[in-house]
Amino acid sequence: MRTTNLIAAFVLLALSVMVLSGTWYLSYWADFAPGSAFAPFWVAMTGVVLAVALFVATLLDDSGEPHSFPDRHGLVRVAALTAGLWLMVLLIPLVGFVMAGILFCLFLLLGIERRPLLPSLFATAVITGLVYGVFIAWLGIALPAGPFGI
Amino acid sequence: MDPLASLASLAHGFSIALTPTNLLFVLIGVTLGQLIGALPGIGPSAGMALLLPITFGLDPITALVMLSGIMYGGMYGGTLTSVLVNVPGEAASVMTAVDGNQLARQGRAGQALAAAAIGSFLAGIASVIALVFLTPPLSAFALNFSAPEYFLLALLGITATASLGSGSAVKAMIGATLGLMIALVGTDPIQGTSRLTFGSLELLEGIDFLPVAIGVFGIAEILVSMEQTQSGQVIRTRLRDMWLTGKDWAECRMAIVRGGTVGLLIGLMPGAGPTVAALLAYVVEKKASPHPERFGHGALDGVAAAESANNSAAHGSMIPMLALGIPGSASTAVLLAALVLLGIRPGPMLLTEQADLVWGLIASMFIGNVILLVMNLPLAPLFASVLRIPYSYLVAGILIVSLVGAYAISLSLFNVGLTLFFGMVGYLMIRADIPRAPLVLAVVLAPLMESSLRQSLMLSEGSPTIFVERPLSAVLALMVLLSLTLPLLSFLLARRAARRAGVAEALSHSSD
Repeated sequence: MRTTNLIAAFVLLALSVMVLSGTWYLSYWADFAPGSAFAPFWVAMTGVVLAVALFVATLLDDSGEPHSFPDRHGLVRVAALTAGLWLMVLLIPLVGFVMAGILFCLFLLLGIERRPLLPSLFATAVITGLVYGVFIAWLGIALPAGPFGI
Repeated sequence: MDPLASLASLAHGFSIALTPTNLLFVLIGVTLGQLIGALPGIGPSAGMALLLPITFGLDPITALVMLSGIMYGGMYGGTLTSVLVNVPGEAASVMTAVDGNQLARQGRAGQALAAAAIGSFLAGIASVIALVFLTPPLSAFALNFSAPEYFLLALLGITATASLGSGSAVKAMIGATLGLMIALVGTDPIQGTSRLTFGSLELLEGIDFLPVAIGVFGIAEILVSMEQTQSGQVIRTRLRDMWLTGKDWAECRMAIVRGGTVGLLIGLMPGAGPTVAALLAYVVEKKASPHPERFGHGALDGVAAAESANNSAAHGSMIPMLALGIPGSASTAVLLAALVLLGIRPGPMLLTEQADLVWGLIASMFIGNVILLVMNLPLAPLFASVLRIPYSYLVAGILIVSLVGAYAISLSLFNVGLTLFFGMVGYLMIRADIPRAPLVLAVVLAPLMESSLRQSLMLSEGSPTIFVERPLSAVLALMVLLSLTLPLLSFLLARRAARRAGVAEALSHSSD
């Protein structure tokens, strides 16, 4: 947990510096009231203080608590799912939302979860039907369509 | 508003909640809540965020009765997984899993589920009654609030999360700061200048609440559940086992009263919520119980206390949300965001401007709790059978619905990308042990906080004494300070106790 905490403190510090530098050109105080940079300045300062507090608390902590990240197998499963989700988003403009969703379901059930083919196809059909019925037919939301018009 | 007027308004609320459409959506909401609560890896806040886009085509009252049904339905549903699989369906059922599953292993799953259902029902109804009588006076009192009080109240909502949460206060504050940073992105609400958009046109309108909530709660929880193949063994239960004997009831009744009271008080506090309530009620019950040695090995009163507390807190947290517009928990933060998305302005005026909505919603909670009692007593074995569906089939559906929901908010793929991004952020937060509820609360409260802070300083021409000039604001400022010093104080006390224990241990070793 020590390394995780130190990384978290560093990321928070970096984000705080980003907030400060990203609003540096804005006014902290306009004529009679706080300006656009007022809130970002104080939020960033709070971030800096908390990052330092976490950094110091971690250095003082001698409990030796292990990190809570999964083993290699777990990380591979999480990475595969995340990659599949991003790939689905990239595929939506090309093949449409529904088709990208079908491909993602099959990738998840057959590729990652190693489920049997027929139940996977059935589950994919049910999910597609649900999305179509609720979002397209009932709520009338125009999901991006692919070359086949769906 | 006097109590009789409250009762008259409640009667009007029933006439709204009992219309066929609203009744149907109460049923849909509590059923979805029951299922969402039962599914490990997805809690009521995530479920509400995921299903919020479905309510876009509905009337605001119908939408809110459904969403709140998911919120308290989740409290009931979480018991099933805790007792039958030993995996908490949602965080507030952690303590139920400890004793509930032990009871199930002893062949008393039915009694554990029955005690939890009856406790949840009685505490839930008592909490809604408190909601009926406490919301109007609190709302009337809040009409005296001006900008400084609003700023301090919103700030208290965030700092209290840190001081009342069960983990590290510094990490809870880090979660809240991340939420405030997210809320800063977009156009400054007062001067209209763009902030932290880095040239992106999509970010000019700011980051919507839903991609953050769906990502941080929904997607992140699914990513965690994907780390290992789900293979929980479901203990079977039968309808004839769902019966409490006189001895069981005698064991539980005071636990329900104590758990319900603790839950209501915790629910009223900003930032605490059902999880803290269940933990505290369990500890209180262990101290009050004539047989504390049974706790952890199958104590029926432990299950009853924890479950009464979490349901009571879920309803109790509606009081500050409806009366002040300040969410007391992550679920009420989603509900507050739903109000805003439906075009309703939350705050003390809500009760007068949207009386039908508020009283219809409160009345629907009585109906919803009755439906949930039926679902969790005679129909519990039926819902338990849902737990036998392999989780991977449900994951695929939840993910697709989440992303379609994220798209439906503004018909933009950018929001879908943002949802995935915040899903990854939420996953890293879970693994770094940084609580996610303060982040979501901060995203919801940030606009109110910033505008009231700047208005206050505008009124006082930059003098911060405006935050302590009026007695009300001075009390709130003191509460904020207390909520910040409480974790520091408990840290120092724990350190001192550890040192003393170390000395005592060293002395005992030396005497050996």
